[in-house]
Amino acid sequence: MLELLRKVSSAHGVSGFEKKAAETIRGLIADYTDEQYTDTLGNLIAVKRGNGQGRKVMLCAHMDEIGFMVTFIEEKGQLCIAPVGGISFAASSYDRVMSEKGVRGLIVPRGGVKPADYSADKFYIDIGAKNRKEAEKKVKIGDVFRFEADVVRLCGKRVCGHPLDDRIGCAILIEIAKALANEKINDDIYYVFSVQEEVGLRGSKTAAYAIAPELSLAYDVTATGDVPGDTPMACSLGDGAAIKIKDNSVICDPTLVEELVDIAKKEKIKYQLEILTYGGTDTASMQMARAGSRACALSVPSRYIHSGNEMLDLDDAIACVDLTVAYIKSIN
Amino acid sequence: MTNCERIELLRELCLAFGPTGCEHRVASLIKDKLEALGYESYLDRVGNLIVHIPCENAPRVMISAHTDEVGFIISEITESGYLKFRVLGGIDPRVLCGKHVTVETKSGDFVAGVIASKAIHHQTAEERKAVTPIKSMYIDIGANKKEDAESVVELGGCATFDSKFVQFGHENAFIKSKAIDDRLGCAEMIYVLEKIKGQSIPLDLWFCFTVREEIGLSGAQTAAQSIRPDYSIVIESTAVADLPDVPENSRVAKLGEGGAISLRDRSTIYDRGFVRMALALAESKGIPAQLKRYVSGGNDAGHIHKSGSGVRALAISAPSRYIHSPACVVSKNDYLSMGELLYTIITNFNEEEIKNA
Repeated sequence: MLELLRKVSSAHGVSGFEKKAAETIRGLIADYTDEQYTDTLGNLIAVKRGNGQGRKVMLCAHMDEIGFMVTFIEEKGQLCIAPVGGISFAASSYDRVMSEKGVRGLIVPRGGVKPADYSADKFYIDIGAKNRKEAEKKVKIGDVFRFEADVVRLCGKRVCGHPLDDRIGCAILIEIAKALANEKINDDIYYVFSVQEEVGLRGSKTAAYAIAPELSLAYDVTATGDVPGDTPMACSLGDGAAIKIKDNSVICDPTLVEELVDIAKKEKIKYQLEILTYGGTDTASMQMARAGSRACALSVPSRYIHSGNEMLDLDDAIACVDLTVAYIKSIN
Repeated sequence: MTNCERIELLRELCLAFGPTGCEHRVASLIKDKLEALGYESYLDRVGNLIVHIPCENAPRVMISAHTDEVGFIISEITESGYLKFRVLGGIDPRVLCGKHVTVETKSGDFVAGVIASKAIHHQTAEERKAVTPIKSMYIDIGANKKEDAESVVELGGCATFDSKFVQFGHENAFIKSKAIDDRLGCAEMIYVLEKIKGQSIPLDLWFCFTVREEIGLSGAQTAAQSIRPDYSIVIESTAVADLPDVPENSRVAKLGEGGAISLRDRSTIYDRGFVRMALALAESKGIPAQLKRYVSGGNDAGHIHKSGSGVRALAISAPSRYIHSPACVVSKNDYLSMGELLYTIITNFNEEEIKNA
């Protein structure tokens, strides 16, 4: 799982500019699916065909990541930026960033700005250019930067790095596809790697419209309440796949939640229940596509979400894979 | 259409009465213009005016501008005959006091009004320091009592700014008017419709004059759901900040440097290939164009690009100062060149180039 996570994390994919991430993931899932294509907005869709009489099942993880877009180049060569997605500037200051074309730099606050006043217009990216002219040779307005990708192993099965939100979900989908590749499944399984989730669940909306699934599952990170001082939340690293009951965008299908819990109990797969009091996921747009679909999500508990270093436990991700594979076989 | 005729068209459109939700007069004015050009147009259920130029097995392209403008809706008539109101769209309360407005009457006619609030002489020291909130303002239509006002206007009636359309400045290069956002876009579309008349263009073209952009893009949403375009081109005006006290890095675009092509705003990330094609065409044909550099605002593309199974979107906006006020200011040359740019994009549309970017 770690090696796979490293591979899918390595490709650039700031919201709206996910082409490289799509290419990388396509290469990793092609062997396990019957066809792969990208749609108008850039969603990557890989399909394992069933017997033609089954349901359409949509499994979705987003491949976009938060980042920065260059809006202006200062005379002295610094790049003014706009955030793409929910950037915490306090958590990002002095992090290393890299453009889609491989230009490296640092995201830094302007001199004299106090942390309480941090906002996008108080930050710039310093690529070490002497002046505007030198910067313009490397970067142009509209270029996007990401946090430098790196995934490192910590204690036990825990890892940290970027962009675990949501390449861990992408890795989970690839593992599910691998596990189901040689199984006879009646349903059509659509593995969807969606775009523009971080800016408002935009990609999954159009993908779900085109696919019109009957059953939908999203795979994403969720917050935890297992660090001193956290808002109370019954979700911890290492306690298993988090079966979503609700977040700010969706109330999951209660019978689907029940079915997933039953399978987890039966197969002895570690699980926990997730109620996230803020934030949204692609679950919502799949649930509301066309005339609606039964939807739920399996989440990987993660600390420090939307910083350049998110932390999670790989065993939780493996539990998400096992639970999905067992569930899909059970409804076959 | 000569440049003079284009300015006259813009004047006529800007002065038409069409606050959000009450756009039918603008739609019927445009319908007449289109009829004179030999186009048949139809209104959909919510009031979008649509011209379809069919072409089978061709990419479906939706070109849109919104007909509505920011304005006011009457929420209460006071005992002494004043009209309390709510705003339609984002209006800065600081621009309101003392402004002339036009109020729609019960019979569909208009009366003059003034937005008034307490005179400076009668304000307390605190009131002078604070911005007067909209709920403390009222429109004065010269009624003596409630019954007088009620005989002329009704609750739910709309109003807009009453201001002149003026060409001014160095070489008369600037235009000021109300409602440039987005009658300018409507004018560009009419110009292009005239220009392509009789030409056979290998695109299935849908020109949409949409309603209700200013309160949440709802007209474009339903239009896109029924048209199901592959591509969307939104013609708009955008707030700029090319002002002395705004640092250069926060300015959105510059007046006089051509239509501003958006990379991203608060509602849409535009299609990279589409943006590249538009910029390349502008450059090769020598039409001025610039990038909208600052991430702000939103437009009809916000709903259009997420409709159906997804739409590749492009937005071209006229840089406009003092937008959403009685005096929006735009560059005449930007207005004139944007029409050429839209025409060029439609007549040189290259689907492969967009998709392979």
